[in-house]
Amino acid sequence: MDKVVSLKWFLGIFTALFVLFLYGPFIVMGILSFQQGPEGGPQFPIIEWSTYWYQHVMGYAPPSRVAPLPIGEALIRSLTLAFATMVVSTVMGVLTAQAFRRRFRGSGLVFYSVILGMIVPGVLLGLGMALLANQFGIDRNWWSTAFVLHVVYTYPFAFLVMLAIFNRFDASVEEASLSLGVSPARTFRKVTFPIIFPGVLSAMLFAFTLSYDEFPRTLFTGGSDVTMPLAIYGTFAVEIHPNLFAFGVLTTLFSFSLLVIYAILLSVSTRRQRARASGLQEDIS
Amino acid sequence: MRSNKGTWLLLAPGMIWILLFLVAPLIMMVYVSFWTQTTFSIKPDLTTQSWVNFFSSDTYFGALLRTIKIWLTVLIVTLLIGYPVALYIGQFIKNKTLQTALLVTCVIPFWTSFLIRVLAWRPMLGKEGAINIILQKIGIIDAPIEVLLFTELSVIIGMVQIYVVFMVGPIAFMIGRIDESLIESARDLGASASTIFRRIILPLSLPGVIVGSIFVTVMVLGEFATASALSGRKVNLLGNIIITQVGSLKWAFAAVAGVVLTIVMAAFVAVMLRIVNLRNQI
Amino acid sequence: MLEVRSIFKGFAGVPALSDISFEVSENEYITLLGSSGSGKSVMLRIMAGLLNPDAGQIFLRGEDITNRPCHERRIGFVQQKYALFPHLNVFDNIAFGLRHRNNDRMTDESLITRKVSEMIELVGLTGQEQKMTGQISGGQKQRVSLARTLVTSPEICLLDEPLGALDANLRERMTIELQNIRKELGISFIHVTGNEFEALAMGQKMLVMSEGRIVQQGEPQTLYTMPQDLITAKSMHSFNIFSGDMMADYLKAGIKGKVPATKISRASHCAVRMDKISVANSSAKASGLEATFLTSEFLGNKVIYFFKTNDNRICEVEDHMSLSEPKLLNANSTYRLSWDASDMLLYDENKQLIS
Repeated sequence: MDKVVSLKWFLGIFTALFVLFLYGPFIVMGILSFQQGPEGGPQFPIIEWSTYWYQHVMGYAPPSRVAPLPIGEALIRSLTLAFATMVVSTVMGVLTAQAFRRRFRGSGLVFYSVILGMIVPGVLLGLGMALLANQFGIDRNWWSTAFVLHVVYTYPFAFLVMLAIFNRFDASVEEASLSLGVSPARTFRKVTFPIIFPGVLSAMLFAFTLSYDEFPRTLFTGGSDVTMPLAIYGTFAVEIHPNLFAFGVLTTLFSFSLLVIYAILLSVSTRRQRARASGLQEDIS
Repeated sequence: MRSNKGTWLLLAPGMIWILLFLVAPLIMMVYVSFWTQTTFSIKPDLTTQSWVNFFSSDTYFGALLRTIKIWLTVLIVTLLIGYPVALYIGQFIKNKTLQTALLVTCVIPFWTSFLIRVLAWRPMLGKEGAINIILQKIGIIDAPIEVLLFTELSVIIGMVQIYVVFMVGPIAFMIGRIDESLIESARDLGASASTIFRRIILPLSLPGVIVGSIFVTVMVLGEFATASALSGRKVNLLGNIIITQVGSLKWAFAAVAGVVLTIVMAAFVAVMLRIVNLRNQI
Repeated sequence: MLEVRSIFKGFAGVPALSDISFEVSENEYITLLGSSGSGKSVMLRIMAGLLNPDAGQIFLRGEDITNRPCHERRIGFVQQKYALFPHLNVFDNIAFGLRHRNNDRMTDESLITRKVSEMIELVGLTGQEQKMTGQISGGQKQRVSLARTLVTSPEICLLDEPLGALDANLRERMTIELQNIRKELGISFIHVTGNEFEALAMGQKMLVMSEGRIVQQGEPQTLYTMPQDLITAKSMHSFNIFSGDMMADYLKAGIKGKVPATKISRASHCAVRMDKISVANSSAKASGLEATFLTSEFLGNKVIYFFKTNDNRICEVEDHMSLSEPKLLNANSTYRLSWDASDMLLYDENKQLIS
């Protein structure tokens, strides 16, 4: 038993170091985002603490030799792309997972060809798509060639999430609905979908996050209008500045607050449901 | 009851999408790799010239070997670091909330753009970077270590940090799923901690290791951004080769590199899938 | 009204149902008795339209509905584990069919409210309307499930082990209530169960299924007293059944009165109801089968005594408290068991009753 206890301590410390390793660059990034500007570079030491780079990201800083990040348009493109990808891949993921609830011949082949979409490295797929587009004389754009590849990438994730949800789904409620005279389509809308909705939500979250940050697939297929990751990649070639770090801190805070809002909404809705259930509250509807 | 036709109707959108936008591009890549490449243009006359060039060039064949070396190093290091962490989260943390909290902690960094996370390693590893400053402050070293940044080492460190979570997640999931009573009854039967680990935890966590390895492999093999950000363009992986070739419109050459990369990756994934049936793990 | 005509169904080559035929009349309570794996649930699912038969037909009021999809059959189906909609409250669960069914969908909320409220009152759920399904007890869930089906006024209502998940107390109460509700509405019920007492008590007509076949159908009374088939006798769990070579010895030893020799020569099995056996001290000169008393089980309204015969078979004897006082027997002592010739049922090698 002593050995197990010391092992536990060892692993605990190991895990703590691991977390430090994960967050190290993060912390450094946070510190350096407060570097003095516009002369201060993305390295130590801190010349003077300032919020200059935050102002720079927001576009409030006076013009200087550091070009502002192309946030406005690129960000909107990225968000639009992520939203469209989320919708399409979640719908397809739900449909495919629904099909997998019945046994059918060739299911193994279908399963692995869907999974292939998340396995094939993005550069390769981007390259193949670019070649294909060239061959057929199709213009490469973030909303066309890049979009379809984003879906190829996120659709398997949505599919796997929904497959796991359906594995725990009790089909007898659907049978109950059918036997009450409700058509299969309406049964899906009124029974199946509301029950699997939390799963659909996490599939959507997955797809959105992956698509928003996706970049190797976009590189060759995105055309001339850049998305946010492409804009950041563009700064690789030239010098990097702490404005990127400030932007990183801001986006992290943004997604963090989104998650907090989501969690609050979720707990409010469950509390309301519980209140309704115990009859303490009058029927709101 | 829904008919078989209904099943195929449900599958149709996904399958058509996969055929048009996944299978077709891959086939196109193979096809283009046999086209004739001249300095300024590319013609659809079939030839193996690009393939011959690829394997006879030190630059490109060297890039392939370097890619494989870095991939295997990252794979092994992520496994060595990731497994103990996964073991701790999955086996030693009994509180479900704490377990989830730890896993979420591992995922939070993903909310920052991948590229910014890569760049954040620069002020960390540089000559005047955080690591050198701290090591000098506590007196372990006198002069800053210079090999930390813009070397293969920095590329490996960067990749390990970014991809290790994909190893931790699946393994922790599999270990966490092990029935507690199984371990308890083994303990009651007098099995030592090391026996329990070897005979129960290790085999049951193997699917997690496989899935994690597949994740890390496909991501590392397709990498180019970490290498270009942290090696100062000194370390060229196959991914970087593809980027530069496309940049100079040498499509056939890029396609050859792409096909080679696909073959390496497909071979590894196929071997892994022989060991574990992915479908049964969901 | 409903006619099932020689239904066959197999799964991956293994037959689950063969040649099932029966009829359901207007305003009738039918029970379908069978052990697990007998095919009774498969039969129910085929009637409901959730499974397709391999062969055979189903007619509802003369119309062939064999290939009609489930949602157009107007056959209600109350599932074993209730299958309530977890995202809806009790009221919305019950109103679901009226609001969303394909034919005759209701949009008038006041009409829905009236119909649902009537049904809620009928099944005794008043006051529970706003509760979520996770907040009510098993018996209440059962009522919601029943109400949800009945409010759509189906032609016929199928119940898959409706009392299976309830505790004994509740089961008894629901037995009575189910019958009352059915009478009130005048809908035919087909009630599937693995419990012989439930099947006997509730059905006006009773079907016994075994290994995918209907072995006997008829009035519960007839099935209980005169099972035409040995499997029916077995499924009643109320008979001692003796088979093979040993049977002849029992026949000689245990019977009071005469059994025609022609009958005995054809018999391969015999069955004696547990409550038709009398027990006497072995010292008594009376003839009878020698058996050692093992133990007894007190069940409130009856007592079951377990005996071991000389060839190590268990023989059960039942005493109803309303008819006699409980016997005082000594464990490991030998007694003599006997019964009237007329109470003994003889079966031929095909397990059919010899009349």
